[in-house]
Amino acid sequence: MSTVTLRAVEPDVAATRRQPSLDDESRAWLGDLRAEGRARDEAIARLHTLLLRAARFEIARRRVTMPHLRGDELEDIAAEAADDAVVSVLRRLDDFRGLSRFSTWAYKFALLEAAVKLRKRAWQGREIPLEDETWNRFASARPGPDDQAETSALLDAVREGIANGLTAHQRRVLLALAVDGVPIDVLADRLGSTRGALYKTLHDARRKLRAYLAERGVALGQWLEES
Amino acid sequence: MERRDPREILRGLLGPAAPEVGCDTCFAELDRFVELELAGKDAEAALPGLRAHLDGCPACREEHESLLALAAETS
Repeated sequence: MSTVTLRAVEPDVAATRRQPSLDDESRAWLGDLRAEGRARDEAIARLHTLLLRAARFEIARRRVTMPHLRGDELEDIAAEAADDAVVSVLRRLDDFRGLSRFSTWAYKFALLEAAVKLRKRAWQGREIPLEDETWNRFASARPGPDDQAETSALLDAVREGIANGLTAHQRRVLLALAVDGVPIDVLADRLGSTRGALYKTLHDARRKLRAYLAERGVALGQWLEES
Repeated sequence: MERRDPREILRGLLGPAAPEVGCDTCFAELDRFVELELAGKDAEAALPGLRAHLDGCPACREEHESLLALAAETS
């Protein structure tokens, strides 16, 4: 039986000890952001410009999925994401290990902020479907004529595993994320949780489902194990 | 219920088979992972479990795709 283990990445000891020499640009960023007075203020302004670009980049990628938002609303989201990302970068400056370029490291904070804000905006005013509604739709959904018998049998076994093998919380989280497609940040917000904590719940639910199927000898198609 | 590919639903319900890291580790290592990918190096070997997490977590996968695209554009 294959097991799924949520684990920490094995530390790359060699890379950690090898304290990489920073590239010139990254060294300049760190020096300027750790300076005092005007030099630091100017560096923070440049950082904001960099992160605003990243936030706009993310918004441009997702704009097609949010046709109801006006340009000025999207620009407000970008500005807010850049502001929040600057705060995050400055707070976590000591976490930068030089294992990537500083700009790549900093970009991810702006991309995260923009993506989370867009997901939340897309679900603003929308109710998360009630678990019973989702379950009833999922439980009664029949495979289409083109679906193979193997897939139909697996769907039936998974439905049984969800009904009998999971806790109420695991069932709620799994159905909302995997069946209703609720973004994990939105669900975390509504449940007063975090992305990391909800993903742990999702992971545990998936592991229990896989174990449930394995105990009953249900074969998983090769297609399921391929990325 | 909107008609979705049952296989897509099953993938989402069962997640990746391989061991995976969590969202926090994924975020902490994402910049390094992306630069290894852009350099044509074996990012999965350097950071085991991160690729499996991207397979299982749509939100982290979206952010990975964006960072990869942005870093490629600015490198």
